[in-house]
Amino acid sequence: MFKNITVSHSPHISERLSTRMVMFDVIIALVPAMIAAGCYFRIRAAILIATCVISAVATEWLCNVIRKKPNSIGDLSAVITGIILALSVPPALPVWAAIIGSAVAIAIGKMVFGGLGANIFNPAMVGRAFLTASFGMLMTTWTVPATIDPSMPVISAENKIDARTQATPLSWSKEAVKTKQGADTVNSQIKAMFKGEVGGCLGETSALALLLGGVYLLIRRTITPHIPLAVMASATAFATIMYFINNQAYISPMSHLFSGGLLIGAFFIATDPVTAPLSKKGMWIFGIGVGTITMLIRVLGEYPEGVMYSVLLMNGVTPLIDRLCKPTPAGGKPNV
Amino acid sequence: MKTNIKGKFSFPGGTHPPQNKNLTSESPIQQGPAVKQVAIMLSQHIGAACKPTVKKADPVQAGQKIGDSDSFVSAPVHSPVNGKVKEISLQSHAVLGRSQAVVIEADAENNPPKESACDKFTSSFDAGKYSVEQICAAIRQAGLVGMGGAGFPTSVKIEPNPKLPKETLIINGCECEPYITCDYRIMLEWTHQIIAGVKIAKKVTGCQKVFIAIEDNKPQAIEAIRQALGNSGNDDIKVVPVKTKYPQGGERQLIKAVLNKTVRTGGIPPMIGVVVLNVATTAAIAEAVVCDKPLTHRVVTVTGEAIAKPGNYYTAIGTTIGELIEFCGGITQKAAKVIAGGPMMGIAVADLTTPITKTTGAITILTKQQIGDAKFTGRKTACIRCGRCVDVCPENLVPTAIAHAVKNNLMDVAKNYYLTACIECGCCSYVCPANIELTGYIKTGKILLAKQEKRMPA
Repeated sequence: MFKNITVSHSPHISERLSTRMVMFDVIIALVPAMIAAGCYFRIRAAILIATCVISAVATEWLCNVIRKKPNSIGDLSAVITGIILALSVPPALPVWAAIIGSAVAIAIGKMVFGGLGANIFNPAMVGRAFLTASFGMLMTTWTVPATIDPSMPVISAENKIDARTQATPLSWSKEAVKTKQGADTVNSQIKAMFKGEVGGCLGETSALALLLGGVYLLIRRTITPHIPLAVMASATAFATIMYFINNQAYISPMSHLFSGGLLIGAFFIATDPVTAPLSKKGMWIFGIGVGTITMLIRVLGEYPEGVMYSVLLMNGVTPLIDRLCKPTPAGGKPNV
Repeated sequence: MKTNIKGKFSFPGGTHPPQNKNLTSESPIQQGPAVKQVAIMLSQHIGAACKPTVKKADPVQAGQKIGDSDSFVSAPVHSPVNGKVKEISLQSHAVLGRSQAVVIEADAENNPPKESACDKFTSSFDAGKYSVEQICAAIRQAGLVGMGGAGFPTSVKIEPNPKLPKETLIINGCECEPYITCDYRIMLEWTHQIIAGVKIAKKVTGCQKVFIAIEDNKPQAIEAIRQALGNSGNDDIKVVPVKTKYPQGGERQLIKAVLNKTVRTGGIPPMIGVVVLNVATTAAIAEAVVCDKPLTHRVVTVTGEAIAKPGNYYTAIGTTIGELIEFCGGITQKAAKVIAGGPMMGIAVADLTTPITKTTGAITILTKQQIGDAKFTGRKTACIRCGRCVDVCPENLVPTAIAHAVKNNLMDVAKNYYLTACIECGCCSYVCPANIELTGYIKTGKILLAKQEKRMPA
């Protein structure tokens, strides 16, 4: 009667959803942050984002060719890695360093494990960690946002800083922790931090843009609210306690939330499904871990910022969390 | 009639595939094709296969028993037509691959179409005059099995068992599977017959409470049954609208939704005093007990975008799928997949001579485009661990972990993730953005595990 009957397992229909669509949603959600980066850091933003994306995709393509595997750049995950890496490096980073970072992110962070879905650590954070370890100086040289008059540094203890290598709110916060004073100066900049008119990595300065993207991801159900909420809640709780202990040495919870990489980490980096736990319970544990370790590093550690290391650390324990939080079947464990 | 009925009850997990029921939902039950030949499978149910009780060239009459078994868990099969046994041979079977069947050549002249028994029932039906033994015997002899899909022998399900007393009877009118409308039409057109069957089932099981569960996307069916019940003065039979969500009609999910009780993993509903019967099965119970007619015909929904005349047909069991498709005006060029059942749990058949069995509620014909849009056609990527399969799993499993264990032949890991608790509803495959055939892997894993544990020949 008719030829070519297709036979397969059920179900025979499916939701219109693909890995590429999921990844594309994340790229859309990153657009506000990229626009904000463009506003504040102008051509540097465009150059760095383009460099990172192109070199990340090229590295993935090259790895596939070497491994003789089907080409996987179509799933767009390398594009996201490139964008996130670009958004989490200082604006003044030289192009060659960006290329090295992206190549390491994809090759060492993802492809050596077997490609998408098999990596243990967030690739962008692997790339950034490599850059931080190798080119520490370049990774801590900050630029003033272009929207600010260069002669008027926004954050300063005694206006003694060089406007060209402006510090970030978090490095001033670190200073405050050490000298037990000056936290107020950082807190007074909360509006600028929300808008993003402060020194910092390309895409992490504007809390507003990141929140917009995060809300988009939540509405599209690309991410669940568990990890972002856990990260923000645990960081806020930690910061509140410290603030009450000494509000001159420790900046306010709001300043912590809107500064550095906490928001980009909560919405875009920690939520990377590949490297985060599967179960909801696991996601709470993971998120609380990321938030707490970030704050430990910020407040007690030597580095001013700790999102990258906390995400990498929690990525490492994700398999353990997954094992710990294995759900029980709806009908209880079978009697075997 | 547009009524707004909202189902309150549901279960955790599940998904919302497009319904597509409007293709056939307004098409009344019609007489199916007059067949020249039927192939009656000797195994149409869970349990022991029947042994043929007729020989080649024996004349048979409509309703005559042609296969039976001494096993407790089994159900006899009957001829739907007058005619002659042509042969007893292997035929294509939707579930079992190839299986023994009695092929009967129908008498060309002496074969009036079988009328449904629905006109014989009114709202005043009283099950009191039938004794429990009488009902049990009639149901066993009529070869009734669960017509919702699993095909568990009804006689075993309802028989009084002192060890497992039954308290609650749930009549399953959810029909959560997309496209299918056979149960919906039965509820609208055979309302009194269903209620008669419910009363008989209530009497034989001794259940005190009866719930008729219907998804809230079928307000007309809910109204029809409520109306019919209203006149009969049966307060212990309640209609429960449940949320429209797949797989609401799954036995375990339905019990969770209606009673908020959980059947243990690996357990069966009678362990918590519950019996679940499909509406089509209750209609067949009424016919078997009151009219003494065996199960030889059933309503089959022939549907899909690629069929000329979709509709609900009262069809002889044993009719081939090909014949039924031809009766419905054939299929268009776009057709690419023929499914015995609905698109979520149905089985794609490779051979159109596969006959309809007691459990075939629908023949769904999908188009090339639908298959192209669906999974497993070259858009597969690695698992990105997004957790969507975990979210939708109605049994709270981790489908991706099971599937990957099976893929790598790690059966102990798969078992550790409760492979055997899977109900194979297909939600995980449906939502997977990486287009991984999770349900397929799990089904394969169950077979591999059974072979490994020597419960099945390798």
